Amino acid sequence: MSNIHIGNAPPDKVILPFYATGAFVFWLLCLLLLADPGSLTQHHFNPHLLAIVHMAALGWGTMIIMGAAHQLLPVICERDLFNPVLASVSWYFLTAGIIFLAYAFWNMQTGWLMIGGGVLVVLSALAYFINTAFTGSVFIHYSVVRVFIFSSAFWLLFTTLIGLLLAINLRYVFFTKNHLELLKLHAHAGLAGWFLQLITGVSSKLVPMFLLGKSDKEKLLLYAFILQNAGLLLFLFDGYFLEMPALRMFVYAVLVAAGITCWLLYLYDAFRNRVRKKADIQMKQTFLSFLGIVIAILLVPFVLYANDPRWSIVYGAFLFMGWITGLILGKTFKTLPFIVWNRHYKNLSGKAKIPLPKNLYSEGLVQWQFRIFIAAMVLLAAGILMNNTIIVQVASVFWLLLATIYLLNVMKVLLHKKTLLS
Amino acid sequence: MIVSLSQPYANEKIKAQQALYNVIDPELFVNVIDLGLIYEIDFDGENSITVTMTLSTPHCPMGEAITNGVRNALEIAFPGRTININLTFEPRWNFEMLTEEGRAQLGV
Repeated sequence: MSNIHIGNAPPDKVILPFYATGAFVFWLLCLLLLADPGSLTQHHFNPHLLAIVHMAALGWGTMIIMGAAHQLLPVICERDLFNPVLASVSWYFLTAGIIFLAYAFWNMQTGWLMIGGGVLVVLSALAYFINTAFTGSVFIHYSVVRVFIFSSAFWLLFTTLIGLLLAINLRYVFFTKNHLELLKLHAHAGLAGWFLQLITGVSSKLVPMFLLGKSDKEKLLLYAFILQNAGLLLFLFDGYFLEMPALRMFVYAVLVAAGITCWLLYLYDAFRNRVRKKADIQMKQTFLSFLGIVIAILLVPFVLYANDPRWSIVYGAFLFMGWITGLILGKTFKTLPFIVWNRHYKNLSGKAKIPLPKNLYSEGLVQWQFRIFIAAMVLLAAGILMNNTIIVQVASVFWLLLATIYLLNVMKVLLHKKTLLS
Repeated sequence: MIVSLSQPYANEKIKAQQALYNVIDPELFVNVIDLGLIYEIDFDGENSITVTMTLSTPHCPMGEAITNGVRNALEIAFPGRTININLTFEPRWNFEMLTEEGRAQLGV
């Protein structure tokens, strides 16, 4: 082999627990949604919804995305992951933290259980931040994608720190500001800082890679970075230090929306200039998830001016279940089978007849997952907007069915045994 | 990679190329020859073979599987020879390096 180092993926025993845990928590949160569909038709600050949202944000979204990010950091930074042990530390702390937090929120037990959960999640975010910072610290080639990865890791740490302070504040009040106002800042630091910036960075690398597409409009990503961060920073500063009126909040949302538009235009350009014309079902699911964030942004004026809590809940539903969940459902089977395949077959390639990564999961189940996702999301949004618990309950059945199919397919990949084809 | 019949080791190079048709990129489902990942195959007497090749993306997660595949396929086709893989990103792989067959397989 020449002196070019192609890098080693982190050990799969480090990455796979993120996927297994995330798939299980998704199933569990859908079960809880079915157990208490009424939580979605009340004000968003209710114990069960807080538990479900934290399970969705941390146990599901962050769990899977953090696992995938550890796998993809070497691809994006073009060097090995700084420390695989720290990645495992992230998983242990995040898993323990979400167990504490979900139990504490569901039963509204403010105090050391909730605070302890918050501390564990902060430690997990800190371990991830260190790994990201040191893996990307040597810039072989400047890449705005890498800047997104770094900033998202910073925002995750920031969001979890604010979350911890809010958990302490619930028991030992020290913030002079209204808790609900701070909750809004915490949630949006997570959404527009952690999730949006990581997804922007990673998708800008992966979508062209999967489609064999290219775009020379990298400037769009730079604008996306500036606009997304400017909107978020102004929103946080104004929200904390000043009395932010709805109009200014709307302006900040427009800035972030402009950043999202730049990112989506970049992806569209790569899509237009792709070699691989036929998009597979996973890519279709990925593109559909982008509709989730677009709809959520279009709902912002209603959230700000309609003075009806239903708009906030449907806005959150489109972000968590439409966008983040849709994206994970699509991308899981673009990453997980390859990780498992590498473990079993990378040394057998060219030597024996072996299955391909696509043979490790059921493509039929992924097709059903796609269809059920659309039905579940439409029903959920309709149920919340119509304030109809029965429709939300039907939607919850669809979500649980979807989560079951997804969990089964993930387990099929994880439990794959090495097979040689005859 | 085009093999000219007049060049030294032309038969061996064709045999190597045939062997590498069996090495498939696990993501794209196209073999490494039609993807244009193989830049050169050099035979050094009876002892060693040096393959100059690239990957579609630097630090491609499937990179090790693909280079292992090239090594394995050539070890089977040429037992006893040392296989050297010279990985390069100069020039960087691009779509123009796909063969007609590769384009057809990708539905271009």
